[in-house]
Amino acid sequence: MITVKDLHKSFGDLEVLKGINAEVKESEVVCVIGPSGSGKSTFLRCINLLEDITSGEVTIDQDVINDPKTNINQVRSQVGMVFQHFNLFPHKTVLENITIGPVKVKGMKEEAAKEIALQLLEKVGLSDKADAYPESLSGGQKQRAAIARSLAMEPKVMLFDEPTSALDPELVGDVLEVMKDLAREGMTMVVVTHEMGFAREVGDRVMFMDEGVVMEEGDPQQIFEDPQNPRTQEFLSKIL
Amino acid sequence: MLEALMDSAYIKSLPFLYEGLKLTLLITIVGLFLGFILGAFTGLGRLSKNGFIRGISTIFVEVVRGTPILVQVLFIYFGISEDLIGVNISGLTAAIIAITINAGAYIAEIVRGAVHSIDKGQYEAGRAVGLTERQTMRYIIWPQAFKRMIPPLGNQFIISLKDTSLFSVIAVGELVYQGRQYYNATFEVFETLVMVCIIYLMITIPTSVILRRVERKLDV
Ligand SMILES: Nc1ncnc2c1ncn2[C@@H]1O[C@H](COP(=O)(O)OP(=O)(O)OP(=O)(O)O)[C@@H](O)[C@H]1O
Ligand SMILES: [Mg+2]
Repeated sequence: MITVKDLHKSFGDLEVLKGINAEVKESEVVCVIGPSGSGKSTFLRCINLLEDITSGEVTIDQDVINDPKTNINQVRSQVGMVFQHFNLFPHKTVLENITIGPVKVKGMKEEAAKEIALQLLEKVGLSDKADAYPESLSGGQKQRAAIARSLAMEPKVMLFDEPTSALDPELVGDVLEVMKDLAREGMTMVVVTHEMGFAREVGDRVMFMDEGVVMEEGDPQQIFEDPQNPRTQEFLSKIL
Repeated sequence: MLEALMDSAYIKSLPFLYEGLKLTLLITIVGLFLGFILGAFTGLGRLSKNGFIRGISTIFVEVVRGTPILVQVLFIYFGISEDLIGVNISGLTAAIIAITINAGAYIAEIVRGAVHSIDKGQYEAGRAVGLTERQTMRYIIWPQAFKRMIPPLGNQFIISLKDTSLFSVIAVGELVYQGRQYYNATFEVFETLVMVCIIYLMITIPTSVILRRVERKLDV
């Protein structure tokens, strides 16, 4: 589903990604872990072209997304992204946050979009918040609304960038629950996370990134219990 | 006592000054309206990825903000229209153009600042949902930025309102011009100027009060 070949990304002189190769299969959940500044966010942002790619190739379903001929907006509408700080639109109600994509991008009728939005809100447990504004929601509710917003575009892939790290500990569970449901339904997901429990339980594979490269990858069991690379060992010993 | 008041310039100048006030408001409102359109384009131009558009916008803003509005209106009225192109435009037209350009430059900075102050994550979320750059600007960034523009725009209204007084130099019959005409004929300078000030304050003070309320309500 996603193939990343020799992906390089520099900000000016600073090379942040130094040749990433990765493959995500359909319905697979890949968790990305690694120390701060290792390039995890940048990697995700390259997959939906929020950053332009310096060199290399990212393919989603046969489309080379960084080919100038590819319609970037088309690509983005197929890749959902959930941000650490939610980035809900504060001037729109929860419902409007969700319908704007289908209506403006896909040209869906308001009514139809609303129906989908209400279904999604039910799915993430926010049926009663449709008409609320984001500022009145708790962090966990915001993040679930943001997930619903992404799902409304019916993406082929969902990218999550530390979706729970801005949340109070007691709110993390609800968000992870929603993500687990998604995984169970077969959504292809790439999740940058510090939630090792989630990675272990839901992840099909774990990628450990450090200094702009994938240092080690494998199934969660192996990475967490028997890491081979000394950098992985050091990182895990610090956080576990 | 009351009779004396009724007979003084305080009251008798009012019909005269009223004529001036109408022009003052006309110039301010039309000028600000056009200035907002100009400022919106220039302000967004300053944030453009296109270096040429950014350059032009920056030069416009810097030149206008770096020169006195009095010189600008003289330029428009005498320099450009009479001297350069050889057409005569009315003083009123020149005044409206001057406010448009001058307020436009300041509003460009207001627009730029407000748009710039919106969290970058908003733009990214818009793009991530699949909106184009334009749609993101129109539906996500602009509505949020516009809210933040309201207080400084109100401030600009007060500034531009007062700036119109300069147009008496090109014989536009706005408030100050009318006042001068009146006291030149009657020699009641003090009384007339007091009334002129009161009229300005009757607009500016309520505007400030409303602005402060709006500001508190918008919490910006
Ligand atoms: N827009 C940018 N301009 C310049 N440097 C950037 C930019 N974005 C990221 N970087 C740099 O790239 C490096 C990797 O950043 P990135 O955000 O991808 O790391 P991360 O692994 O997600 O870290 P964290 O766990 O703290 O979120 C950092 O050194 C960061 O300073
Ligand atoms: Mg990050």
